[in-house]
Amino acid sequence: MLPPRMKQAVMDNPKKLANLIDLVNLPTPLREFMGQSQTSRLGCFMHVWSYIKENKLQDPNNNNVINCDGKLRSILLGKPQVELAELPALVKLHFPKKPI
Amino acid sequence: MKKMKMGKFPKPASIPQPKTPSSLIPSQKPSKTPLIPSSKFNFKSPDLSAAKSLFNSISSTVNPDLNHTNSFLKSYASISTVDDSISLLRHMIKTHPAFSPDRSTYHILLTHSCAAPDPSLSPVHGVLNLMSSAGFSPDKVTADIAVRALCYAGKIDHAVQLFDEMSLRHSVPDSYTYNFLVKCLCKCRPLSTIYEFIDKTRSSFGLKPDLVTYTIIIDNVCNSKNLREITRLVAVLGEEGFKPDCFLYNTIMKGYCMLSRGSEAIEVYNKMKENGVEPDTVTYNTLIFGLAKSGRAKEARKYLKIMAEKGHSPDVVTYTSLMNGLCRERDVLGAYALLEEMKERGCEPNECTYNTLLHGFCKAKMVERGVELYRVMKERGMELDTAAYATLVRVFCRRGEVAEAYEVFDYAVESKSLTNVAAYSTLESALKEVNKAREQGRIA
Repeated sequence: MLPPRMKQAVMDNPKKLANLIDLVNLPTPLREFMGQSQTSRLGCFMHVWSYIKENKLQDPNNNNVINCDGKLRSILLGKPQVELAELPALVKLHFPKKPI
Repeated sequence: MKKMKMGKFPKPASIPQPKTPSSLIPSQKPSKTPLIPSSKFNFKSPDLSAAKSLFNSISSTVNPDLNHTNSFLKSYASISTVDDSISLLRHMIKTHPAFSPDRSTYHILLTHSCAAPDPSLSPVHGVLNLMSSAGFSPDKVTADIAVRALCYAGKIDHAVQLFDEMSLRHSVPDSYTYNFLVKCLCKCRPLSTIYEFIDKTRSSFGLKPDLVTYTIIIDNVCNSKNLREITRLVAVLGEEGFKPDCFLYNTIMKGYCMLSRGSEAIEVYNKMKENGVEPDTVTYNTLIFGLAKSGRAKEARKYLKIMAEKGHSPDVVTYTSLMNGLCRERDVLGAYALLEEMKERGCEPNECTYNTLLHGFCKAKMVERGVELYRVMKERGMELDTAAYATLVRVFCRRGEVAEAYEVFDYAVESKSLTNVAAYSTLESALKEVNKAREQGRIA
């Protein structure tokens, strides 16, 4: 009786899914931040986001903005402030598309 | 969005012996012999000689009865190979003459031989031959056990093969085994294979499909949304002289409802009444679900009343289906009023109910109400469903409350409502969409 579950576009597309969860050899700056040499894009995002939460880097006046500390700045293009909305895109920069 | 149970197919009731050997464990049966704790039979290694000496030491101290020996054999077989288990059985018979294995002893071995990772049926044949030579000719129960075990092990082709062999050589399996096999075939084989199987068993062994068989097939056809086939099967059913029961009507109605065919569902309901079959709660739930789904919430509401008048109290499924229908028609407030109504009647809303309403509120741009609902859900530790999660995240992103969207994301991951991948990709695409809109100046 369960109507067909609304499937995520990403889950249907093996290429996109692989893009998200495949382990990738990290570039040097990211390697230092993550503390490991391989991770997936999803793992990287989760790590960055939990780092932000742990160190309370969200701007107290505007939750949607992150005040980067030195470590974060080193992986997010050296910006002093980053919007939460651009976080996925910024993380993605470290994971260039694989040549087909 | 909602789950509706259509009921279960009848389980074999006429089988004279326990279906699964698990009921042979002594703890379930009173036994007069000094108790041997069943934990003693927890074999750690499949070493045959160790098992043999353990049996020797047990049989020399206490006099194990059939239950004990059977559970001893069962626990050894569960971690060992079929051949070793047979050797152990031989050893047990030899060293402990008081032990005379019965049918159930061989059925233990049979179950394990069916689950054995062997590309052929040879271990099963081995056990069956062993059984016959011990004077127990395989019967209907044996066939049932073997077929079920093979199906559970995913060896459906072997199950069919064994079914045929049993019918040819021993006795024709009963309708429970037959229906079980048909059900398994429905799950993983095309319809044509099932018809072939039915035709073959009918012509060679005289086994005819009964009402349960037809219900299974119709259910399967409904799930694959094959409308024409449903109609054909219903006609065939009449030709064969079967009178559909409530359960079958419910199944047919479900088929129409899944295809959003409200009128046909009502037709089925009327036909039921014509034929004097009393609709049950499931019938009404299905009908209300179908009508709500096909955008006829008003009529669905009418049936809610009829249902209550007939003495079937609407349950959480009924209300949730109706709310879903109202939400589809953008009448969220009506749906919310129903929430109050159901609470008044002492019907507790569940996760599906809240998810439906949350989705409805977000779609109707009544975000505050939606957030309110989300807080309640979070407080109660309820899981979000995919649709509700996605709309909520999108709404937050569109309103520029990105931090809130991240909070929902965190909750979805933490409560394991969705997989990390699903939760993240929804968030990512929502943000991407909003950033794009902002660049184009569509929103501030």
